[in-house]
Amino acid sequence: MTSKRHIQQLSESEIIALAKKDRKYFGTLYDRYFERIFRFVFKRLGGDEDTAADLSQQTFIKAMANMEKYEDRGFPFSSWLYRIAQNEVSMYFRQQKKNYSVPIDENRIQDVATEAEIFSSHMSMDDQEKLVEMLNGLEESHLDIIELRFFQQMSFKDIAEIYSVSEATAKMRTYRILERINKQWKNEE
Amino acid sequence: MRKFTVNKDKKQLDPTDAQIKRHKDFSRLHHDYEKLTKRGKKPLYRDPKMFLFLFIIGIILLLIFLGEM
Repeated sequence: MTSKRHIQQLSESEIIALAKKDRKYFGTLYDRYFERIFRFVFKRLGGDEDTAADLSQQTFIKAMANMEKYEDRGFPFSSWLYRIAQNEVSMYFRQQKKNYSVPIDENRIQDVATEAEIFSSHMSMDDQEKLVEMLNGLEESHLDIIELRFFQQMSFKDIAEIYSVSEATAKMRTYRILERINKQWKNEE
Repeated sequence: MRKFTVNKDKKQLDPTDAQIKRHKDFSRLHHDYEKLTKRGKKPLYRDPKMFLFLFIIGIILLLIFLGEM
């Protein structure tokens, strides 16, 4: 019998190995990552608590059901969970008949503008709305990266782990999208 | 599809600790998981081999019962 305290002392890969054999050990992984996944989903949904709870639950059920398929490829277990959560939320958005509105704080929009070298000082509400409209016109995959970096405020390392790429690749992809935003902004001015 | 908007209403976009605590429940998750994974299991009588086995047992019991009468 493995006690809860004993499990807590095990390494992540040891807990994963135990959870693959018996799902009751998945509880330790759940305790460790629930908050991060719930926060992530909650933010992606723009603060819809009940849906965030359902989709987080769905994320962990899928993870539990697919534990055998999980392979340690040098990225943390959390990046696998983020990927499942990312897919769950995207699927939810696609299932909506009407557009699902996700509010974004002004500071976060300002961050995009600063990094895209559009504005360095405070933006007017009109400019913020113009930029958000431009973001809404981006390809889904590009918007996901902008969302992770600026709205979820993730580091390049975290983004790289979610996409299973190197940190340099994550950085390069982000800056290419920002460059495109910059060009589009200047063309519309 | 999703559509981003400026958060003019100052909606809370980060969950509070109370909200996180309210939804963190591994026993519910485990229960839901069990329900989901066991749902597709066939009942014993729908397994052809098991059905035959149960049928033969039933016949034997019936014959014993009739023999005793």
